[in-house]
Amino acid sequence: MILLNYIAAFFLIALGMYTIVTKYNLVKTVIGLSIADYGVNLLLISIGFNPGGTAPIFTWSELDYNSFFVDPVPQALTLTSIVIGACVTAMSLALVIKLEEQYGTIDTRKIRRLRG
Amino acid sequence: MNLLGNVLSYQHFPIYAIMVLFMGSFLIAAFGENRRVRNILALLSITASLIFSLLLINPVILRGEIIGYWMGARSIAGGYAIGIALEVDALSLFFALLAACAIFVSGVYSIQYMSRDDNEKEYYTLYLLLCGGVMGMVLSGDLFNMFIMVEILTFAAVALTAFRNTARGAVEAAFKYLVVGCMGSTFILVGTAMLYAQTHTLNLAQLAQLVPGNMNTATKAAFALLFVGFGTKAFIVPFHPLAADAHGAAPASVSVIISGVLTKSGIYGIIRITYFLFQSMGLGTMQFLLVFIGSVSMFVCVTMALAQHDFKRLLAFHSISQIGYVLTAVGLCTALGLSAGLYHAINHTLFKGLLFLAAGAVLHETGTTDLNKLGGLARKMPHTTVLFLIGALSISGVPPFNGFASKWLIYQATYQKAVESGNIGFLLVTVIALITSVLTLASFVKVSHSVFFGQLPPELEKVKEVSWGMRFAMGIFALLCIVTGLFPNLVTTYLTEPAAAAAFSVQRYIEAMGFDGSAAVEILAGSFRYAGVWEPVSWLLVLCIALLAVTIAALAGRYDNVSLCRTAAGDSKYQLFYGGEEQSFSQLGGDDMFWGFKHNWRGYFSFMHRLHSGIVNDYALWAVADLALVMLFSLIVL
Amino acid sequence: MTVILEALRYLGYVLVFPGFLFCFLAGMLLCGIDRKLVAKMQKRVGPPILQPFYDFFKLCGKETIVPAAAERISFMLAPLLGLAALVVIQLFIPVFSFTAFYGMADIIVILYLLLIPAISIIMGGAASGSPYAGVGLSREMVTIISCELPLVLVLLAVAKTVGSAMGTGLCFSLSDIAEYQEINGSLITRISMLPAAAAMLLVIPGETGSHPFDTAEAETEICEGLLAEYSGAALGVFKLSHAVKMLTLSSLFAALFLGGLGTGILVLDALLLFLLCAGITAVSISLVHAVTARLKIEQIFKFYWTVVSLPALLSLVLAWYGL
Repeated sequence: MILLNYIAAFFLIALGMYTIVTKYNLVKTVIGLSIADYGVNLLLISIGFNPGGTAPIFTWSELDYNSFFVDPVPQALTLTSIVIGACVTAMSLALVIKLEEQYGTIDTRKIRRLRG
Repeated sequence: MNLLGNVLSYQHFPIYAIMVLFMGSFLIAAFGENRRVRNILALLSITASLIFSLLLINPVILRGEIIGYWMGARSIAGGYAIGIALEVDALSLFFALLAACAIFVSGVYSIQYMSRDDNEKEYYTLYLLLCGGVMGMVLSGDLFNMFIMVEILTFAAVALTAFRNTARGAVEAAFKYLVVGCMGSTFILVGTAMLYAQTHTLNLAQLAQLVPGNMNTATKAAFALLFVGFGTKAFIVPFHPLAADAHGAAPASVSVIISGVLTKSGIYGIIRITYFLFQSMGLGTMQFLLVFIGSVSMFVCVTMALAQHDFKRLLAFHSISQIGYVLTAVGLCTALGLSAGLYHAINHTLFKGLLFLAAGAVLHETGTTDLNKLGGLARKMPHTTVLFLIGALSISGVPPFNGFASKWLIYQATYQKAVESGNIGFLLVTVIALITSVLTLASFVKVSHSVFFGQLPPELEKVKEVSWGMRFAMGIFALLCIVTGLFPNLVTTYLTEPAAAAAFSVQRYIEAMGFDGSAAVEILAGSFRYAGVWEPVSWLLVLCIALLAVTIAALAGRYDNVSLCRTAAGDSKYQLFYGGEEQSFSQLGGDDMFWGFKHNWRGYFSFMHRLHSGIVNDYALWAVADLALVMLFSLIVL
Repeated sequence: MTVILEALRYLGYVLVFPGFLFCFLAGMLLCGIDRKLVAKMQKRVGPPILQPFYDFFKLCGKETIVPAAAERISFMLAPLLGLAALVVIQLFIPVFSFTAFYGMADIIVILYLLLIPAISIIMGGAASGSPYAGVGLSREMVTIISCELPLVLVLLAVAKTVGSAMGTGLCFSLSDIAEYQEINGSLITRISMLPAAAAMLLVIPGETGSHPFDTAEAETEICEGLLAEYSGAALGVFKLSHAVKMLTLSSLFAALFLGGLGTGILVLDALLLFLLCAGITAVSISLVHAVTARLKIEQIFKFYWTVVSLPALLSLVLAWYGL
């Protein structure tokens, strides 16, 4: 089961990269970044997953050697990563709006004043 | 009293050095409406950060301690690192000091440089965020925290690139930087996740303990991901176009941070993963990877710089070219090489900072950085000209400035490596490094002619010298350029050799955090042996005596005031010679320089021009292709 | 007392031998010999050998005009700095077993110090504001780039040869190179060094900017380029620098390839060095000058990076494999 998660995660990352590389629409580029980000989140959460484990919320007295729970560290990482992903999307969309204002287009092939 | 003593213990200084910057950023965001409050807050936090880093020199570099600092006193449970850690060895501190100095000078410069922009509050908030990110990244002892800090600094850098969003190409540059920078960050995160999956730890020291004995396909792929991820932060080839775009648009004070500090944090990341985490630098193939990328960066970027006609864009390409020197020297994996590379890293921060500030001064006064529109500013901005020339001669490696001292070491290191390893390829690297150096000189001859010398365009007649605050900031950099050039032995003894030695003592790094470092791979450092001699102070003394002698002779002869009379008005003998044509403005533009050189390489230049197409998809493709190649390489050789 | 005597001795090195006086006399004489030889080769009578001295003193007597458009300080300082830097290089180049300033600079440093006179002439020209100087500095810089590659290869080849013979792997120190030649005979006697010596002979005219590699000054085309606005004493100093540069480069050649011929007596050595320099100048500058026409700038670049670099590279590869 978990293998499927990994395959899906790397598929999403690859799909995101593919979108960024091949799509000439700025909004699609932003979507590509997000897709790759979702892939990373899925990867992170799958790494911490233990089949049958409970949520990692214990007090010291409850914790003993029989407790079986999923790894909390990747969950923390995922939370951080989600926040960062949201920031990336917000900022890049803001830049897309500005670009559209200045260049009158959102086609990457036409937004290339800086080159050479 | 005890509490105070505890709070002021140097163990806490690393976190203070990071926190003051972030605190400054948040306080300015909250209370920075008033200009004076804002400036005081910004100056206070950068000064405090500089002082805390300077105070760490004594324990970390002179006494050789490694500070392992656990946040919230959570350390190791069941053999695994639980808390978030800072770990400061001489290598971290070296980069932190570099960052703190550049941040300080650039902050002082900003006060007057940014005074004509609106939204200064946002500027300082982002600026301090960027600085805090860099500081946090180099002092962190935790791979995930490095990622967080990398994200913070990427974000702040992108926002600051777009800060003057009405400037030509600013938003475009920021968007490209954001896309590729975020791809790089994603690579770092995936690499971190894969390492975590294999070792169940994020602590750098523990990773260094576990990873080398645990090499499998996943960790090898993680290496490639981390390497390319940090590569995007250092802007090494193939990410150099982003640097060029970003520098061209960003305010000069931010360019100083991006080129002087942000790229260094990328180099720091690469040193950490290759020397510490994977301990793979002993492999000839890994050395090849670093040296190859370094040499290509060095050469490609210097030729790209020759083709530019925008002052700041040109400087940006040179920046990556110099980073290529650093990476090449680091990749040699000898004590001499690493020490030389770190020395060059210091020098690059200093002279490139100086040059960017000079470019900023020109932009501030004239409103343009186009080499074809400038000229003859030496008569209007004499101090800026002298400071710029110091920077230009430093980066071109002209003795006795600092660029020469470190390049001299790099040539020796590469050549020595070639002789010791018997590999003629390293010899080629020496030749490339020497040629790059002379091409750098050519490029700066072009800049000094088309900006500061030559003819003054009529529309620049009213230009004035910049304010004293900006000159003061440039003066600090210029002074440091001269000092580090004249006393190379002091720099190597007190800064670069301890840092290089730290990179070769992985075991101590692991054990400082309480893990078992006995399995660490020992890399042979080689010796510090110079094949030549260079005594800058004595040379300068002799030159001064000679110059004095010539000057006295000249003044006694025909260099007196009578023959150099100034009554120029209207007298045609003081006009320039135009071969019978009527006098008009005829400055040779930056584009037309070095035609004789470019003509022979026209195929190469037009190929490069087509390659740097400016389309973000292409740059993204390069990133993916680079990742694929490095991954293939590391799967085969690691 | 001894300190003062030591200081006086070093001051003597700077001012008399191998410093200013020697550079002035020997450089000017070399220049005169060169002009006479070229004239003879072209079946002209030519000027007297002392003509460069006359020229220099005549220029010093003329009015020095600083153009109104020029940046005065750089314009007037540039010639002096260039000359001083050249004389300092001469102090580091060993005269057979004698080195005036021992242990201060190696061949990589010399390579870079050679750039300083070039930079100062470029800065001086740029500061004059003349459009001809703009073209001239562009060409001057391309000439420097052109010469750099073969020069680097030659120096590395020498460093490798001497280094592997001395067991240290590589050797950048000029004094060590001189010492090695004292013991083992001149480097030019080694077959692997012959191509490098040939390449170095062709680098000398490029570095000094003499015919046919003088596009940067091309009188007939861009009115002396960088020197277009110079006159009087300042021009005289530049002419002197040019003469000293011929001496510096030919004595560098002598130090790299013709070491070990010295007698141990300083006066004789100095005389011998001058004769060798005259010979080198005759071959590398005068002969090449007499038989060729001025090249175009892109041809210079191509020439140096192919025709001259290849033998230097060959030499380096031969030295690498220990031949």
